Amino acid sequence: MTDPLQAADIKQRLQECRSKEETFKALVTLSKTLPRLSADDKTDANKVKGCESAVWLITDDCQGIRHIKADSDAKLMRGVLVALISLVAGKTLPDIQNMDLKAELAELNLSSYLTSSRTNGILAILDRLQQP
Amino acid sequence: MVFDSALLRPMFPILAQTAYEHPLIYLDNAATTQKPLAVLDAIQTYYRTGNANVHRGAHFLSDRATSHFENARTVVAEFLKAPEQSHVIWTKGATEAINMVAYGLEHVLEKGDEILITSLEHHANLVPWQQLAFRTGARLRVVPLTSSGEWEEEFAHYFTDRTRIFAATHISNAIGCTTPLSTMLALAKQQGAFTLVDGAQAVAHYPVDVSELDCDFYVFSGHKMYGPTGIGVLYGKQHALEVLMPYQTGGEMVRHVSYQATEFNVLPFRLEAGTPNIEGAIGLAAACDFLSEQNRPALLAWEQSLANHVYTRLKKYGGIDLYSPEKNTTLVSFSVPNIHVIDLNAYLDSQGIAVRAGSHCAHPLMAQLGVTGTLRASFACYNTLEEADRFCDALFDAMEILGDD
Ligand SMILES: Cc1ncc(COP(=O)(O)O)c(C=O)c1O
Repeated sequence: MTDPLQAADIKQRLQECRSKEETFKALVTLSKTLPRLSADDKTDANKVKGCESAVWLITDDCQGIRHIKADSDAKLMRGVLVALISLVAGKTLPDIQNMDLKAELAELNLSSYLTSSRTNGILAILDRLQQP
Repeated sequence: MVFDSALLRPMFPILAQTAYEHPLIYLDNAATTQKPLAVLDAIQTYYRTGNANVHRGAHFLSDRATSHFENARTVVAEFLKAPEQSHVIWTKGATEAINMVAYGLEHVLEKGDEILITSLEHHANLVPWQQLAFRTGARLRVVPLTSSGEWEEEFAHYFTDRTRIFAATHISNAIGCTTPLSTMLALAKQQGAFTLVDGAQAVAHYPVDVSELDCDFYVFSGHKMYGPTGIGVLYGKQHALEVLMPYQTGGEMVRHVSYQATEFNVLPFRLEAGTPNIEGAIGLAAACDFLSEQNRPALLAWEQSLANHVYTRLKKYGGIDLYSPEKNTTLVSFSVPNIHVIDLNAYLDSQGIAVRAGSHCAHPLMAQLGVTGTLRASFACYNTLEEADRFCDALFDAMEILGDD
């Protein structure tokens, strides 16, 4: 499980990127740390609507802590998912609901990757993270 | 006959930019082309020296605007080899032109009639017909491609005595192939169907002769042929345009109005309600002039040679599924197994290279090809061989970076 330190680490890595190419490479590196979902988990119900690539997201609240599994058929999106999951790792649902995820996302220096059509998808992902 | 695209580049100032500190390489021309100075100047000049409403005031500027505006119609008519300038109707673009026909022909359709399109259609030449079918009880039918992307050998039987409308693209925006229009249009005409050709992807590259094509309607957008956005054309034969019910009514399109009735104006005004896009028409005429002043066969040969160069390099590199034809096309459309096209697109963008990734507004075609999307590099007259090579090199780099797990 990811701890908050790793979230800080990810944030720092992304913030250090000085070009679109560096961000691209950082996301590719991050993507490799995401455990992939099995085909059984890639159901329609788990699919997040509105993303340009296919994204699946599963939340599981266990002893108060929200566990998140996610996957995408696009690599950069998997990198983004790693960053997003790190933001909420180890937290309870009420904690997550109290977070301003959009603001936290804005600090990750990903704006050039979250172009308008993709942003819709990202907002849908943030929504899922905060849904009971 | 050697063509040098470098000579054209100064006419397109936008191309001299950098994107993310790389020289900008614009290979998304099938989405929209860049505009030459001649077009920018024509629009500026119109507003600086000739702006007034058309067909209305009797004063110096209004006469000047009207004459430039109607001259633009003549230029476009000549560009299309249309017999009469009144057969050229201004629209917002190809999409609006197709919708005008789909609404305008509603009254001729009966339940059980057939509207025939092809597998290659852009949503713009599909959804309006599908919705028309829903409204009228007509049936939407599709001339299919085989799984390898070829036309079925026997497609004649799709044209039946119930076929009332046949609408087909001239060139596919998604995979760049050409529709066998002469055969298909002849089959449609044998059945007495109205015929519409979507020329959105053709006009920038190929000489179009609507009289020779002999279709009832031909539509295109100005912005894909070096003209401005927000202007396009519905060309129609006289009788075909007269059958159309105006889908918008209001000023300009009327001859006399009382509270009891309205007498519509003659063509082309009957189908042009409201103040038209005057600057757009003037800009589009400038784009037609720009093209007419070029050696068009040499331009086309150049664009095709760039596409063929990229096709050949991609094929040689291997591991790439190509959907566009090897030759006689101005774009390359492909996907790479196990790498998402939006990831490839993102890397290319980071290198300053603009292409298009996705379904190209052709979901049913993508489903038939068995892909969710393709990456499309589409060429225009100002692209260089160096750009084509930079694109290939960057693509191979992207495959290297993205393909390692
Ligand atoms: C083949 C084809 N038809 C129609 C259209 C629609 O053109 P517009 O959006 O300019 O109306 C396009 C544009 O992408 C196209 O490529």
